[in-house]
Amino acid sequence: MSTEPYQYIEDPLNVSRREFLTISGALIALTALPAAVVRRMAVKRNDYIRARATGLYQDDTNAKIRVSHANQGVMRLYQDFLGAPLGAVSEELLHTRYIDRNRALA
Amino acid sequence: MSEHASILKHPLRIRMFHYFLVLSFIPLAATGVALFLKPFDEHDMNLLMRVHVAAGAILTLDAVAFFVLALDRVVLFTKRAFTFGMNDVKWFAVLGGYPQKFLLRKKVPVPPMGKYNSGQKLFGACILVGGILLIGTGLSLWLFPHVLPHVLARTFGDIHLIVGLFLTLFLLVHIFLGIYMFDDFKAMFLHGRIPYDEAAEVAPLWVQGEIVSITERT
Repeated sequence: MSTEPYQYIEDPLNVSRREFLTISGALIALTALPAAVVRRMAVKRNDYIRARATGLYQDDTNAKIRVSHANQGVMRLYQDFLGAPLGAVSEELLHTRYIDRNRALA
Repeated sequence: MSEHASILKHPLRIRMFHYFLVLSFIPLAATGVALFLKPFDEHDMNLLMRVHVAAGAILTLDAVAFFVLALDRVVLFTKRAFTFGMNDVKWFAVLGGYPQKFLLRKKVPVPPMGKYNSGQKLFGACILVGGILLIGTGLSLWLFPHVLPHVLARTFGDIHLIVGLFLTLFLLVHIFLGIYMFDDFKAMFLHGRIPYDEAAEVAPLWVQGEIVSITERT
């Protein structure tokens, strides 16, 4: 006499071997293929960004003027108009103040 | 046939999987809707996001563990969920008899069903595909959004939102009908068994074609 509290179960051979392999293969493909595609897109994008960054660093290395305060146009702007860096005119025209906009957004 | 004969409909590993689904998906749905509507301040929204991520991690681990440890059940479920026939068309034509039962108190004949009726099969198919999409997009957006191309990250966000909202709405129907079919509710949440006579009435094809006596099996 069985001691189990139930008398019937599902037939465990409900799925044939072919069906099992087909369905499990389809499920694995459904998850693995999109993951592979996304990974490839991310790698391609990051290769592009790395190439751009390498180019920019190379431009920097080859440039004659490599700091902004040696830029002739900027030096002339301060000389002719803005006065000293962090002076009153440059502060007024080039700097901003922090405004808390969280309440307005909420 | 004994009056008190019962069928083991949901074995323990299925019930365990479902427990973790319930524990993770309901917080995910609730926090997901709140993250979409944004009714609270920044601190509370951050807390909701942390809850959402934690519940998502539990759901992902649960799904992966069940896939690895119970692949046979996953395959069987997939086979049942994606097998449709004329009986299913006829079932949907009367919507399973539920609207007539609830609104008109009338019992209409429905075509004979297997373990899952046509509505349950549709829900199962949506959960399977939708769950994979939610887990895939959610993991990508949580773990490596900065690595993805911007357009892809945006698309993943849209997919995650639309599928999440759709499954949340479908879940409400599932919860209502799951509790309504109380024998099945007890089977899934308590002991896994349903009365043989009940199963023969609501799932005759399953009982005739897929059930064996445990004495015959041994």
